[in-house]
Amino acid sequence: MIVQNKTEAKLELHAEVEHQIAKNVVELLDSQTRQLNEAQTQRLLDARTRAVHHLTSRQAQLAQHYQLNKNGTALLWMGERFGRYFNQHRLFTGLLLLSVVLLTLFAAQQFVYHHIPNSDAFLLASELPPEAYADKGFNAWLDTN
Amino acid sequence: MITFKIAVLALALCFGQAARAADESAAWAQLSEQQRQVLKPLAEEWDTLRPWQREKMLDIAHDYPKMDAKQKALVQKRLTNWSRMTPYERENARKRHQQFQSLSAEKKNELRQKWQEYQKLPESERARLRAESPDIYPDSDLD
Repeated sequence: MIVQNKTEAKLELHAEVEHQIAKNVVELLDSQTRQLNEAQTQRLLDARTRAVHHLTSRQAQLAQHYQLNKNGTALLWMGERFGRYFNQHRLFTGLLLLSVVLLTLFAAQQFVYHHIPNSDAFLLASELPPEAYADKGFNAWLDTN
Repeated sequence: MITFKIAVLALALCFGQAARAADESAAWAQLSEQQRQVLKPLAEEWDTLRPWQREKMLDIAHDYPKMDAKQKALVQKRLTNWSRMTPYERENARKRHQQFQSLSAEKKNELRQKWQEYQKLPESERARLRAESPDIYPDSDLD
């Protein structure tokens, strides 16, 4: 109990000291400010105005950027991220693109091989025999008959 | 992990191609039962065929199960003659067949009748017509 009281008393003392220091700093700044001439005051005011303007315009830009992303142009944000990622992993990106090209070729080949009935089998099963298509004489005879 | 999957797919692609190439150069004894059944008319001469000729014949065997009974019978009947045609004649036939496919039913029927009439001409007359006719597709890719 006694230890706790001593600790609280110490904290109060520290707070009082800090408060006093802050009060002294403010008084010092006030007294120095009162000694500034009109030109110095104006320069400080201009600098403050520029700083505030810079801060507000930066905040407006950030707000617009986040608003854009929020409104569905998330692709812009994603594009930046993916672009950065692929730039950092060029070898992997190259391999990925090569694999996509190879797989596309393979898929196209398989599609043609399995799904389009254009092989010689369908020619052989046609209404006319293959000789009819290959015979040059038949073609010439058709032109005259 | 993604890289590993891509590598596996690329290997599968390479092995697939290699397997197909091996299939095309297969001897008669190495063909599957289904392939031998379809290509039976070519059994005697199969091992003398060039790899690209075998490839075309194996394509026929591949498409054969998709056909109805009538088409299958026609394939069996015409396969031997087809294999004995020159590459040039086969290529001409493919191109003319494509043209035939785009004709109307009426035109197709007319051509069928004309073929019957042409067949009735004496062989000497047909030979003369063939000899006097220029090549239809002189720049064809042959196989």
